[in-house]
Amino acid sequence: MGTIRVRFILVALVVSFFAVGMAAFLNYFKYKSTIGNIVKSRVLVVGRGIENSIQASLQLGMQFSELSQLPQMMQREKASDRLVRGIDVFDYSGQVIYSTDRARVGQKVATSWTLAAERSKTTEWTTEATDEYVAGISLRNAFDLTVGFLALRYSRDEVELAAAKAGREILLAAIGSFLAIAIVAPLALIIVIRRFERDLRALEAAATHLEDRADVTVSSSSAFDTAIGHLRSSLRDANKSLDDMRAKLDSAG
Amino acid sequence: MLEKNYLWRIYWRLAGVIMVCVVLALAVVSYFSHRVFDRELVPEVEQKAATVANSVRQLLLKATGYGVPFDKLYGVEQTFGEVFEENPEFSYAAVTDLDGNLLYARGKEPGGVREFFRRPAIIAQGLDPAATWQPTHTGQQYFVSMPIASDKPLGMLHIGIDGKFVDNILLEVMLDVVVVLVVSLFFTLELLNFMAGARLASGLGEFAQQVERMRSGDFTATARIRANDEIGRLLRRIDAAIDHLNVRYEFLVGELEDKLRTATGDRREKLRPASAVLEGIRSRLRFGSAPKETEGDEMNLNRIRAPLFAFILAEEMTRSYLPTYVNQLLVPLWGISPQVVIGLPIMLFMLIVALGQPYLGSWSERVGRRRAMLIGASIATVGFAATALAINLYDLLLWRSLCALGYAMVFVAAQGYVLDRTGQDNRAQGFALFIGAIMVATVCGPSIGGILADNIGFRLSFAISAVMALISLLAIARLPKVEVRTTTSQRPSRGPRMREILALLVNKRFMTLTGLAAMPAKMILTGVCFYLVPLYIVSIGNTSAMAGRMLMVYAVMMVLIVPLSASLSDSSMRRDRYVSVGLIISGLSGLLLLISDSFLVLFGVVFLLGLGQALSIAAQSALVADHCQEEIRIYGHDAVYGVYRLLERMGNALGPLIASVLVIFWGYQGAFIAISGMVLICGIAFTIATRGHEWTPQPAT
Repeated sequence: MGTIRVRFILVALVVSFFAVGMAAFLNYFKYKSTIGNIVKSRVLVVGRGIENSIQASLQLGMQFSELSQLPQMMQREKASDRLVRGIDVFDYSGQVIYSTDRARVGQKVATSWTLAAERSKTTEWTTEATDEYVAGISLRNAFDLTVGFLALRYSRDEVELAAAKAGREILLAAIGSFLAIAIVAPLALIIVIRRFERDLRALEAAATHLEDRADVTVSSSSAFDTAIGHLRSSLRDANKSLDDMRAKLDSAG
Repeated sequence: MLEKNYLWRIYWRLAGVIMVCVVLALAVVSYFSHRVFDRELVPEVEQKAATVANSVRQLLLKATGYGVPFDKLYGVEQTFGEVFEENPEFSYAAVTDLDGNLLYARGKEPGGVREFFRRPAIIAQGLDPAATWQPTHTGQQYFVSMPIASDKPLGMLHIGIDGKFVDNILLEVMLDVVVVLVVSLFFTLELLNFMAGARLASGLGEFAQQVERMRSGDFTATARIRANDEIGRLLRRIDAAIDHLNVRYEFLVGELEDKLRTATGDRREKLRPASAVLEGIRSRLRFGSAPKETEGDEMNLNRIRAPLFAFILAEEMTRSYLPTYVNQLLVPLWGISPQVVIGLPIMLFMLIVALGQPYLGSWSERVGRRRAMLIGASIATVGFAATALAINLYDLLLWRSLCALGYAMVFVAAQGYVLDRTGQDNRAQGFALFIGAIMVATVCGPSIGGILADNIGFRLSFAISAVMALISLLAIARLPKVEVRTTTSQRPSRGPRMREILALLVNKRFMTLTGLAAMPAKMILTGVCFYLVPLYIVSIGNTSAMAGRMLMVYAVMMVLIVPLSASLSDSSMRRDRYVSVGLIISGLSGLLLLISDSFLVLFGVVFLLGLGQALSIAAQSALVADHCQEEIRIYGHDAVYGVYRLLERMGNALGPLIASVLVIFWGYQGAFIAISGMVLICGIAFTIATRGHEWTPQPAT
């Protein structure tokens, strides 16, 4: 196989690898973000119930730190969805006021939680911990002032496992497509560059007979015919001049 | 001789075949992905629908708990409306009684749904106190049905999931896949050139040159190492034929000289015809060794394209998401609005490039182009990697400055590399290669960068830019170590002097072109494309990938229109008109937002801006030579063009600053409109100022 053909095939393989790889990458990340969003919004539905209850209590004039029924309600809501690992309510300083996990009450949440809540342009916010995701809601009172934050911790496994499974399948489809291309593209390229290779072969063939003295007219109807013609006539003329000189030298004895 | 576009015809054919294969492969990947999405996402959405249904059921039970009859509830449809707003994948919701009769509903009723509600299995589920929720697939819809029961069964709640929601999700992916296709096409052409074309073109070019040389009687031998491919073998055969001729010639000359040395009288007379023939041969043909300088350097010229492309791509990839990334790292700077602070890294980048370029040119000449590029790419690699790890705005500014310095070094040194290896006859070709690499990078970079940023985050995307810069570093290291200077490039270049800058700043003719055309064109480019578009798109709830697609539209317009407008403006010799029309179109672009702030209109803004810039950009710099002949005579060509480029690049730096200040006062839309209005006014003023003048057209520079 000619080296030029090999290079063209390599180009096809590199480009296909890029395109298929990018498509697989896009599909995988789209899946991951979609499933992540679905799971997050599912968790937030649970959170909205708690938020509504807190807001109703605040509107009745109760203090944010005195919602005695809230822990039980949080436990109930946690139990309603197996995905939810724990629910915390914390204040502006990041101190946990209510939690489904009693040991957490009084502790401070990670700074990234409060930062994510502050940076969010809506009332919803999200952040990530080492082994869990956190979806949150900023709690506002009747005057639209943020009084605290509700955070729902849920397992990463749901998203990670689903993404890994889908990722494997997308990867297999991508590898299959790439292998198919690796077979089809070279064949298609060979057909397309046949003409070019024929031109090159004609050129090479003509070049092997460059020094033939006989006035061979090789017409291959290739793109290089004129150039080959010029090459031959130049060499023939030069050889003729040297022949002439040889003859003169020989005749001089 | 060889037809000029012979190779390009082959490239396009190859690119066509590769694209067909790529499209087929993408279709297969998309098909299988769709299957995975369908199979895996539907149960998740059903689970979510169940959670939502449970929440709605609680509300209904609360109301019935207060004594409101189940069939006389108020605001159920409104609640469904709120559910749809928060969950666009739900398209229908209904409550039925125990007989399956519809009580409340919202959304477009799917065909056959009432029969579905009355199915015995569904009615039985409503009556079963132990039943939870049940997913069902009917026609185009997925249904989640949940019994509503307090102390006794009341009815059923049904949430309908749009059967096409997976299609809608994948439609977004399809847009990115189309971007990947376009980028793949450009990559194909670039790779064809890099992996095969450069050698092929230079081989065929050398073959053509060799034929020409031999036609003109030049049979001098070149001592070149030929590649072991088809063209290399062909050239070796020609070399061999020339070598044989040279041996034969040397032998004949030696024989004649020997005979002449020993010959006397009559014998010497007999050798006279042979001597005459030799004289004739010497007058017509040339033998011996070819002088070194006649050896072309096309191959080495082509070798700059790949490293330049990789390097520029690294920077272009950041265009679509840099402002959003800066927004994340924002720290309050006393007395400066956050909008201006977001634009600071872009401004600083442009400023360093503008001020650095004139002086880095002579520096790269001193240290060597290759070395300058190596230093520049190394600095930029560190800059990108550090940007990926930036803590806040302060260190980000430092890292972006490194990127800018590296960018300016590589840009100028690569430009010098082309200048060094081209003469008057092939300089345009050399620069076409240089600009081509940059244009392809501007098409591919922002779109791919946006996609990456959306999926793997800003920091990892910057890390990928660092990898690209590192790859370019490796490609630069493969460039020839020997520095070359053609006779035309031997004059050392210099940056413009302060005296020249001041004199030209107050020169009316020069400033008409620079102040009314070149600077505004660059301001709107960086202000709109690098600052406003990425931020505005994200502010209206879109993604960086969409910003990348928008910037891609701009770049594609440039790639398609610039060559056409350049040749048309050159042939018509009315470059001023192209500049005027281009500026006015650019100026009208942002005014489109007066009609609507819809996404399509924004697309129109970028499209018109690309069209306007493409029409004026080539004519603008050529117009300097037409417009400022007197100034060129006084200060010299280098000084006038140096100041012109400097001011043009200052426009680049001012763009984001002006745009950010406009955003403070009038918001994003207002800023688009104001900056475009300013360019429109400049365009009209330029048209008036240049109206009726008869320029003496000069060759494009």
